[in-house]
Amino acid sequence: MRPFVYTQAQNPQEALSAATANETAKYLGGGTNLIDLMKEDVERPTELIEVADLKFNEIKPNSRGGFTLGAMANNSDTANHPDIRKNYPLLSMAMLSAATAQIRNMATNGGNLLQRTRCPYFYETSMPCNKRETGTGCGARNGMNALHAIFGWNDHCVAVHPSDMCVALAAIGANVQVQQANGQLRTIDFSDFHRLPGDRPEKDTNLQPGELITAIELPKPVFSDHYYYLKIRERSSYAFALISVAAGLQMQSGTIANAGLAMGGVAHKPWKLTDVEKYLKGKKPSQSTFEEAAELAMKDAKPLEDNKYKVEMGKKAIVRALTQAYERGA
Amino acid sequence: MKTVKASGIGNPIDRVEGHLKVTGRAKYASEFSVKNLVYAQGVNSTIAKGRITSIDTSEAEKQKGVLKVITYKNAEKQGTFDKEMPSFGLTTIAPVFQSREVFYYGQYIACVVAETLEQAQYASRLIKVTYEEEIPDIHLEKNKDKAYKPDDQADYSRGDMKAGMQEADVTVEQTYTTPNEHQHPMELHAAIVSWKNGKVKMYANQQILEQATTAIADTFMIPKENVQIITPYIGGGFGSKLRVQRHVIMATMASKMIGRPVQITVTRQQMFTNTTYRQFDEQRMRLGAKNDGSLTALAHHTTSHTAKNLQYYEACGTVSKMLYKTPNNEVTHRLVPLNMQCPASMRAPGEATGSFALESAMDELAWKLKMDPIELRIKNDTQIDLGADKPFSSRLLIECLRIGVDKFGWEKRKMEPGTNKDGNWLIGYGVSAASRRAPYMKTSAKVILKLKEGTVNANVQMDATDIGTGTYTIVAQTVSEYLGIPVENVKVEIGDSEFPVTPGSGGSWGAASYCNGARKACENAIAELKKKQNMAEDEEVAIVDLLERNNLSTFEAEGTAEPSEEYKKHSVFSFGANFTEVWVDKDTGMYRIKRMVNVGSAGKILNPKTAYGQIIGGLTMGAGMVIAEQTKVEPNYGNFITRTLADYHVPVNLDMANIEVVFLPEEDKIANEMGVKGIGELGITSVAASIANAIFNATGKRMRDLPITPEKLIAAEIESDVM
Ligand SMILES: Cc1cc2nc3c(=O)[nH]c(=O)nc-3n(C[C@H](O)[C@H](O)[C@H](O)COP(=O)(O)OP(=O)(O)OC[C@H]3O[C@@H](n4cnc5c(N)ncnc54)[C@H](O)[C@@H]3O)c2cc1C
Ligand code: SF4
Repeated sequence: MRPFVYTQAQNPQEALSAATANETAKYLGGGTNLIDLMKEDVERPTELIEVADLKFNEIKPNSRGGFTLGAMANNSDTANHPDIRKNYPLLSMAMLSAATAQIRNMATNGGNLLQRTRCPYFYETSMPCNKRETGTGCGARNGMNALHAIFGWNDHCVAVHPSDMCVALAAIGANVQVQQANGQLRTIDFSDFHRLPGDRPEKDTNLQPGELITAIELPKPVFSDHYYYLKIRERSSYAFALISVAAGLQMQSGTIANAGLAMGGVAHKPWKLTDVEKYLKGKKPSQSTFEEAAELAMKDAKPLEDNKYKVEMGKKAIVRALTQAYERGA
Repeated sequence: MKTVKASGIGNPIDRVEGHLKVTGRAKYASEFSVKNLVYAQGVNSTIAKGRITSIDTSEAEKQKGVLKVITYKNAEKQGTFDKEMPSFGLTTIAPVFQSREVFYYGQYIACVVAETLEQAQYASRLIKVTYEEEIPDIHLEKNKDKAYKPDDQADYSRGDMKAGMQEADVTVEQTYTTPNEHQHPMELHAAIVSWKNGKVKMYANQQILEQATTAIADTFMIPKENVQIITPYIGGGFGSKLRVQRHVIMATMASKMIGRPVQITVTRQQMFTNTTYRQFDEQRMRLGAKNDGSLTALAHHTTSHTAKNLQYYEACGTVSKMLYKTPNNEVTHRLVPLNMQCPASMRAPGEATGSFALESAMDELAWKLKMDPIELRIKNDTQIDLGADKPFSSRLLIECLRIGVDKFGWEKRKMEPGTNKDGNWLIGYGVSAASRRAPYMKTSAKVILKLKEGTVNANVQMDATDIGTGTYTIVAQTVSEYLGIPVENVKVEIGDSEFPVTPGSGGSWGAASYCNGARKACENAIAELKKKQNMAEDEEVAIVDLLERNNLSTFEAEGTAEPSEEYKKHSVFSFGANFTEVWVDKDTGMYRIKRMVNVGSAGKILNPKTAYGQIIGGLTMGAGMVIAEQTKVEPNYGNFITRTLADYHVPVNLDMANIEVVFLPEEDKIANEMGVKGIGELGITSVAASIANAIFNATGKRMRDLPITPEKLIAAEIESDVM
């Protein structure tokens, strides 16, 4: 690991000024991703600013009739919080499918949003990777891409976002609250938080330099009865999703009043299926409705050389997740 | 001989070293405190083929704490291979930094030595290297024209394969593939080495000390007596610690050059590139049988790869020579040299992978014959090893299968795939037969008896190792048994190359060899003490009385046990049967292993607890072969792209099923005097086939390429002869 300075900020202002003063500083959450990447020489910050001790670890009701998750609350406390389990069981389920108990105990909500792709080329500094080193090329595009994107990719980068939590947040809808370098607050709609690679694959999100995530704001809960998070993976725990689907349904006298649907493991960002959500609204749940929803979801899929399986797997996963979500409450 | 009922052999006592381990007092290679210690870090090549054109170490050398950077420019001359592409054996030398040439991705090209590990690791990143790069050979398929027959393995055939296939009513001709896999013991490879006055003393996790000292001595061209290895505890090896790997040589060279003790610990990433692995195997199987199930022909052709400068082949076909009665048989192995690190043994080399191919093919044959796969195996049982033309010392395969049928509830299996359902789940049952050679080798031990206040204590010394298997415990039980003293009074001292020579831990020969060696030392002690008193050899007398009568407070004896003439006239194998129930999700390709039953016949079980642990570990590793284990090779650069335990998936607890392990009561006195056979590798053998066969029974899909991941299962077609 390269030498770095460790700074413990007593309050957000201190953290923000430290970050403003040093362009190559990084905030430290639980460190479960950042420290790994530093050991691999992928991230090379010259300063780590500890933010985990700041008072942003609360989970409390908000003015929208929903709940707000502190950015520094850890993933375990968040997923197991009685209010979250009751009102956003879809979020709990997704979060608890991630990593292991030990990692979830360390990982913060803010850090989870900013965890970087698991593309193996990104991790191996001797390989080309535009995300790690601009202009070196995308190793995965012409190499091994079985675990990569089928939506929204381009030749610059075909990576996927690895988070489970974020897939549930995309389905539920959320806001990310950030504090800017000048101390001002800013709210980013969750669907605008992560980005597609475009011609800046090194940028995963629309966060500006030095901005500190303070909270995630959830809307009034509507999917607390009918929900399911399906994660297809190579072993029963401690593995990232090949494909995942977060499905929430709000039922009203036998028809779908509202649907929240998003996929993981398919794109550079959590992949919200807005068209499918619209399609489902007002429909009666049935096998054929769900199958049509799956077709619609996969209509524009553009698989790479090694990940053609994701199209079929994605359809099956959507049908299964919607069915389970519906039947769970029935 | 008086048996100490509570602690002698056959009793499931707790590990005698258990407390030391769980309290962290059992010392592993990198945990010894040595004065004046410095740290070394290996630097890896980032090309797979070519040569170094420049290597700039100046920046690294400037760093605080850095003592030395070793490269091909300043390395001392070491031993050289006596031919161009020698076999990779247990005493093979491991020279480092002898030229600019790079043969594989990740080859060590430099070593940084510094006062602290952090300084060494940081400085290692600052070394700048340029290469003259060549296009590496990394695709087996594209280089098949270069395939050659390994020096150590002649082609085998008996009868007439072609005639056998023609005579058959039903045939199976299929190819099975298994990926590169890594051993990944929990404990990283490590060494602390001190070179002083031409002598080397090291703490290093080597499985076989006698052979390792030879390899190190030959690499440095010094007498073997000048090398001492100490390794009281080893945190798993699975074959990767059999041979001397290059980090040991780097640390030794560094210690010699700077005159201080040097510690090196291989990183988990380097455990992929620098400490061997199991190679990719492509196995072509051809089977023919009569309608009644009797085999008329069996051929097993394996193609795998090896390094450009060393040859190692996995003997996948061995199992097809001996497991079934077939008059016509052909077994060959071919190696394709690639720009990859030399592969080497991983738990049950040959058998683990070979049994996947053979036992899958047997299942395919059973399905084509519409015969119960258990009956097919029983039909072709043989008490003679036709490949070696010798009788088996004992073979209870049929009994293993029959007892497994009852324990598992095999009668509930549906012959037709896809017909046993529960909601979204398809349920399948699978079976496979397991066999693993049970070698037994010459082993010496020394026993030191001490009499004090009417109590006898014994120390036993041998250069054996405990790789987590339970050597301490079973040797203590043996000494307890043969001296008739409680196990608490026995102290086992192993893991030092200066102790009497044993074959070390590997190839499932450890338990049988170690215990018989210890037995012999105890027997000699008693015999010598009796002789001094002119007592009859068979006179019953307690060891305490013997010492007292001799008026001795301490007494030493050595013993050497070795295979008998009878042993050499027989084929000695352990046998077993695996039964698996899997539940496959009909849509998502995910599946769960619900139950496993393993029935084994492996001679006398020294300690059911440690033996059980071996089988559970084997079954888990076998399940790993199916669920996810694979090291992927980047097709353009030739590096392993799976490079941490986050992407090299081994099973987690949740993946593992309810496991039932049954040992048949057996004592194979031909195998050795104690009737003990190896089990360390039996447990992994054919597990993969029993799971793959269960998946077929559940889904009608034949999965011939391991691992069986959800993406492969989704893409696979149902076999055309399944309704
Ligand atoms: C082996 C392994 C398996 C895993 N499996 C899964 C899985 O299956 N599913 C899954 O979803 N995740 C998985 N994870 C990832 C895990 O969820 C993330 O590592 C974790 O959520 C990151 O949170 P952290 O607090 O540790 O972030 P850190 O590592 O501390 O930080 C990550 C990034 O966020 C930045 N940051 C942190 N906090 C803030 C803030 N408040 N404001 C601005 N920037 C900030 C840091 O500067 C850094 O760039 C796995 C991780 C590991 C190591
Ligand atoms: S997919 Fe993205 S992260 Fe992976 S190699 Fe290409 S640019 Fe890098």
